[in-house]
Amino acid sequence: MSAPTSAGDTPTRRSPSWGRGDQAVRVGRRSALVLGLASVAGLLLFCWPLFVRVAPSSLQHGVDAPFVFLAILPVLIVVVLAELSEGGMDSKALAMLGVLSAINAALRPLGAGTAGIETVFFVLVLAGRVFGAGFGFVLGCTSLFASALLTAGVGPWLPFQMMASAWIGMGAGLLPRRVTGKAEIAMLVGYGIVVAYLFGFLMNLWFWPFVTGMDVPYHQGSLSYVAGAPLLENLQRFAVFTLLTSTAGWDTGRAITNTVAILLVGPAILATLRRASRRASYGVVGTHGPALDRASDAT
Amino acid sequence: MSRRARSRTSFLPRDLHPAAWWVWALGMATAASRTTNPWLLGVVIAVVCYVVVARRSDSPWARSFRLYLYLGLIIVGMRCLFRVVFGGGEGSTILLHLPQIPLPAWAAGIRLLGDVSAESVLGGFYDGLRLATMVICLGAANALANPKRLLRSMPSALYEVGTAVIVALSVFPQLAESVQRVHRARRLRGHVATGRRALRSVIIPVLEDALDRSLQLASSMDSRGYGRAGTASPRSRATTGTFMVLGLVGVCVGIYGTLDGTTPRILAGPMLLVGVLLALCGFVLAGRRVERSRYRPDRWHLPEILTATTGVAVAAMVGGVTGDTTALDPSLTDLSLPLLAWGPLLAVLVGILPAWLTPPPASPFVGLEDEPEPSGGAPESSGIPESSGTASGDPIGARR
Amino acid sequence: MIRLEDVSIWYHEQALPTLEHVDLTIGEGELVLLVGRTGAGKSTLLGTLNGLVPHFTGGHLQGRVTVAGVSTASRPPREFAHLVGMVGQDPLAGFVTDTVEEELAYGMEQLGVRPDVMRRRVEETLDLLGMSELRRRALRTLSGGQQQRVAIGSVLTMHPPVLVLDEPTSALDPTAAEEVLATLARLVQDLGTTVVVAEHRMERVIPFADLVISVDDGGRVRAGDPATMLRDTPIAPPIVELGRAVGWDPLPLSVRDARRVAGPLRERLATRVPGPVTGDPMSPPTTPASPVAALTAEGVVVRYGPKVAVRGVDLVLRPGHVLAMMGRNGSGKSSLLWALQGSGPRQGGRVTVQGQDPKALSSKAARALVGLVPQTASDLLYLETVAAECESGDAESGAAPGSCRDLLDSLAPDIDSGQHPRDLSEGQRLALVLAVQLTAAPAVLLLDEPTRGLDYTAKRVFGRVLRRLADEGRAVVVATHDVEFVAGVADEALVMAEGEIVSQGSTRDVLGGSPAFAPQVAKILGEQWLTVTQVTAVLEADRQEVVS
Repeated sequence: MSAPTSAGDTPTRRSPSWGRGDQAVRVGRRSALVLGLASVAGLLLFCWPLFVRVAPSSLQHGVDAPFVFLAILPVLIVVVLAELSEGGMDSKALAMLGVLSAINAALRPLGAGTAGIETVFFVLVLAGRVFGAGFGFVLGCTSLFASALLTAGVGPWLPFQMMASAWIGMGAGLLPRRVTGKAEIAMLVGYGIVVAYLFGFLMNLWFWPFVTGMDVPYHQGSLSYVAGAPLLENLQRFAVFTLLTSTAGWDTGRAITNTVAILLVGPAILATLRRASRRASYGVVGTHGPALDRASDAT
Repeated sequence: MSRRARSRTSFLPRDLHPAAWWVWALGMATAASRTTNPWLLGVVIAVVCYVVVARRSDSPWARSFRLYLYLGLIIVGMRCLFRVVFGGGEGSTILLHLPQIPLPAWAAGIRLLGDVSAESVLGGFYDGLRLATMVICLGAANALANPKRLLRSMPSALYEVGTAVIVALSVFPQLAESVQRVHRARRLRGHVATGRRALRSVIIPVLEDALDRSLQLASSMDSRGYGRAGTASPRSRATTGTFMVLGLVGVCVGIYGTLDGTTPRILAGPMLLVGVLLALCGFVLAGRRVERSRYRPDRWHLPEILTATTGVAVAAMVGGVTGDTTALDPSLTDLSLPLLAWGPLLAVLVGILPAWLTPPPASPFVGLEDEPEPSGGAPESSGIPESSGTASGDPIGARR
Repeated sequence: MIRLEDVSIWYHEQALPTLEHVDLTIGEGELVLLVGRTGAGKSTLLGTLNGLVPHFTGGHLQGRVTVAGVSTASRPPREFAHLVGMVGQDPLAGFVTDTVEEELAYGMEQLGVRPDVMRRRVEETLDLLGMSELRRRALRTLSGGQQQRVAIGSVLTMHPPVLVLDEPTSALDPTAAEEVLATLARLVQDLGTTVVVAEHRMERVIPFADLVISVDDGGRVRAGDPATMLRDTPIAPPIVELGRAVGWDPLPLSVRDARRVAGPLRERLATRVPGPVTGDPMSPPTTPASPVAALTAEGVVVRYGPKVAVRGVDLVLRPGHVLAMMGRNGSGKSSLLWALQGSGPRQGGRVTVQGQDPKALSSKAARALVGLVPQTASDLLYLETVAAECESGDAESGAAPGSCRDLLDSLAPDIDSGQHPRDLSEGQRLALVLAVQLTAAPAVLLLDEPTRGLDYTAKRVFGRVLRRLADEGRAVVVATHDVEFVAGVADEALVMAEGEIVSQGSTRDVLGGSPAFAPQVAKILGEQWLTVTQVTAVLEADRQEVVS
C-alpha cells in the first residue's frame, strides 16, 4: 500500500481521503476468490465424515483420508493468510490484530474451567463487525494460534479451530452494514447464538470419527461413524452424538456466554472499537502539497 | 570454525530447533496411528515420556505435558464408556447385563445400554489408547519445542501474520497487569456491585489501554522499517495468484475425489497432491517479496537432523510392516493376550535416541525470569557498565 | 541534514493548521532541543521528520521536508528507518518483541541486515548503552529508564544519522530520566549523531544544545541559540525563570553557571527571611495546623508474601495541610497510600479517620472518608463522555446532580462535556478523575504520582488546585518524585525508603539540605530558598520600599 501521491490529484486542503474502519485488512477480488476456494475445501474437510462414498475397492482409502486431511487444512490456512497479507499489511491493522489476539487469548482460559463458558467468540464477533471480514478472518486465526502457543495446545485440532473461528470473524464482517443501534446488537446476539452452535457442530463433525472410533473391526457402535454409509444415516448418528455430547452442555453454554456478553458489554465495546478504528483511520493517505507561494527564506 | 568444532558446539546446552522436535513427535504419532496393540502403544508412551523428562526445560509450556497425560486418560475412559452406554453388545463374552432403554422412533438404530461384551469394551480401549498415544506424542512436542522459536522460524510469506502473533504474545502479560490494576482501581470509585456496570468498568479501560497501545506500537513499527521489504512486481503477483488459485481448485477437486470413491482415482490422491504442491508454490512465491533477515537464526545442526530422522524412521519402520499384521492390530474375535513382535518393538524403541543425541536444554527460558541471570558478569560488575560489558560479552561471543 | 521549507500541516477536520510556515535547517551532528506547551504541536513537528506526519497520521502537509536530501513526500516512513530513529514517550508501548536482544535486532531484521553484521551491532549497542547484563531480560521486567534505553538502542542499531526523541523522560521518575538523558548526552558527544529532542527537563539537555526550537501557540515556530531563545519561551525550568526574574545576562542555563553569577543576589538575600513556600507570598504564613487530625495511622504494615512493602509507618495528617511523600520507586509510597485509603492490603497497624477504620467500611463509605487518585488515573474512567462520567460520579457518591460537573469546572474550566475522556489532555483527565473522587466529599485526599506527564505550566496550575483543596480544609497527600512541584505546593514532606519513613518535617527542612531532593533554586541560593516565587516576592518588597 504505497501512498499514491501522484502529482495529478492535488488534494483540497481540508479534505484528505479518509480511511474506512471496515477495511482494516483489504480483501481484493483475487483474495476473495482464494478465500472462497479455501473455504469450500475447508468445509469439505470438516464435513468429510458425511460425504465419504467408498467404492468397494478403495475401502482402505476411506480410512486413510482423515489423516491426509489433517495435513491439508494447515496448508489451506497458510495459503489464505499469505494471500490476505500479500499486498503487505498496514502496520496499524497489524498492531490492532496483535492486541486483539492477545485479548482473545487472555479471555479464552477464563472460561476453560467452567463448563460451557467460552469467552473467545464475542470479542471476535464484535471486532469482525467493526474492522471487516478480512480482519475478522485473520483475527480468528491469530487468536486461536496465539492462545494455543500460550497454553501449549498445538495439535491437529488447531487448524480446525483456527478455520472455524476465522469463519466466525469473517461472517461477522459480512453482516449487513446498515443495521445500527439496538437492531445491530440484536443481530449480533442472533449471530452469536447461531455461531456458537455451528462451531460446536463443526468441531464435533470432524472429530466425531476419532472419538467414537471407526475402523476397528468387529464393532458396530450405534453412535459410531460408518465410513461409506449413506449420508442420512451418518447424519442421524452424528446428530444424536452431538446432541448427547455437546449441544446441551458446551454449545448452549457458549451460546449463552455470547448472548450475555454481547448484550452487556457489546455496545460499549463496539463504541470503543469504532473510536479506535476512527483514530487509526485505516487506509488513510496523507497528502502533500507544494510550498505556498511565499519566499522561503525567513527563519 | 572447522566442521568438527561446529559439530561439537552443537551439542553444548541450547534449545533444539523446534521443528526437529515436531518432526520427531509427529513421526512417533504416525507410528502410533498404525497400531492398536496395547503393548506397543505403551512402549510408545514410555519412550515419549522418557525423552520429555530428559530434554524438557523449566519453561511453563514444558509443564503442560502432564495435562496431555490426563487428557489421554480421559480419552481412553470416554471411549470405553461410550461402548458401554451406546451399545456394546457385539461379541460373545458378555460382561454385564444392563437393561436396554427403549428409544423413540427418531432415534432408530441407536441402542442405549443393554448387554456389554468384553470384545466391545476392549475394542474401545484399544482404539482409545491409540488416540491417547497420539495426543501424548503431540503433548511431547508442545512440551519440548519452544513456541517463541517456532514463531521465529515462520516462513516469510506469513511474515505479517507471524508478527501479529509475536505482538500478541508480548502484549499478553501486559494485559494481565492492566486487568489487575483496573480491577483494583474500581473500588476507589465505590464499585462493589456486580453486573453490567461492573463488567464494563473493567473491560472498557483495559480495552482502551490496549487499543491506545496498538496505535503507538504501529507508529513505532512504521518508523522502524516494518513492511519495508515490501511489494512485489505486478507480474510476480499475478504468478503467485495463479499458483494459489489453481492449487486451491486442485485441492477442492482432490478432496472431493478422495471422499467419493466412485470418481476416477486420478481425481483423488494425485489431484490432491498436485493441488497442494501448486498452492505451496504460490505460498513460497508470495514469501519471495519479503526480504528481511533474521537475527541469530535457528539453524539445523547434527542433533536436529538426527532427531528428525529418528522420528521419520520410526514412522516408516512401523508403517512398513507388511504381511502378518496381527502383531500391530490384535484380533478382537478371540480374546487372548495380544502378542508383541520384535520388529515393531525395536522400531519404536529407536524413538528414544533423541534423549541422548540432543543437546541438553539451555537454562530456563530467558525471557521469563525476573532476576538477571546469575551467570556471566558477577553482580558487582553491573555497576561498571564498560568493564562488565567486555568481561561478560567477550567470552560469550567467542564461544558461540 | 534536515530541512523544512515553508511547512504547514493540517489535520483532518481541522480548519486551522497545527503548524504554519515552518522553515528550519538542522545541521549534521547538532543537538536540537524542542520546547513548547503540551499540545502546541511538538509531536507533529517531530513526526514530519520521518514522514509519520502525514503518511501515518493522515492530514495534509504543505511544503517540503527533506532528510539527508530525501523528501518525505516521496517515500513512506518505513523507508526512513535507516535515516531517522524515532523514540516515543512510552517505551513499553512501542516494543514489538519481548526480550532486549530481539528488540534491538528488530529494526535491522526489517532492513535486511546480514545476520553476522546484526550480531555485531547488537553486541556493540549493548556495550554502548551499558546493558549487556540485561540482554536476555524480558522487556516488561525492566525499569522505566532501562526500557527507554532499550528503545533508544533499538533504533541505534540501524545506525541512523538522525535520532528523534519525543519527550523520552515524561513518563519516568527522576532517576530514570537522569539515566536516559545521560545516555543521550553521551551519544551526542561520542557518536556525533544529530539529535532532535522534545524534553521538558531541559536543564539536563541545554548545556549540550546547539539550537533551541520553540513551538509557540498557534503553530508558529522560532529557532535560535539556547541563551537567546530561553529568554521568552512559554515553558522554562526554574533556573531560567530565576535568571529572567533577576535579570541575569547572559542567562545561566545550568546550576553551575547560575551559582557563578548568583553571588550578589545571595548576599542580598542572606539577611532576608523567605516567605512561605506556598500560596500567595504576601499572605501570612499558613495557619498553624489544627489540633484535630484528619487521619491517624499507627504502625501500618503492608506485605506481599515475604516482601514487606511498608514497615510499621506512623503518620498523622492535618486538615489544611499538603504533605508530599517522596522516595524512589518501590519504597512503599503507593502501598502506603492504598493502605491508608482502605482498598489496598494492610496486614498490621491501625488507620483512623473520623473515628472509623476505612478498611472496615464498605468501599463506598471508605471513599467518602478518604479519596485516592491512583497512578494511572484513567483506570477509573470507563464511559464515553465527560458528561456521563460526571453523572455516574454523582450517582456513586449520592451527591446532587451536577455537583461533579461543578467541581470539574472549578478545577479545569472549559472541558466540553461531549468529549471522550480519553481524548482529554493529561491535565484535564487528572482533573476529571479528581472531580469524580471529590464528589464524595472526602476529608482526606491522596494522590499517587499525579504530576507524571504534565508540563511546567500544567504542574503550576495543578499545584494551585491542590493548594486550594487544602485551604478548604482537606488533608492532602501527594506522592511524587517531582522536587520542584513539592517545593511549590507542600507544607510538609516525608521521604520513604524500604517501607520506612527516613525523614519527615517541613518542606524546607526536608528538601533544602538534601543533595538529592534540593530544588534548583536552593542549589543556587542556599537551602532556605526553595522557589522562584519566594525570591521574586522579596525582590518585589524591596523595590516597593525603595519607591516609597
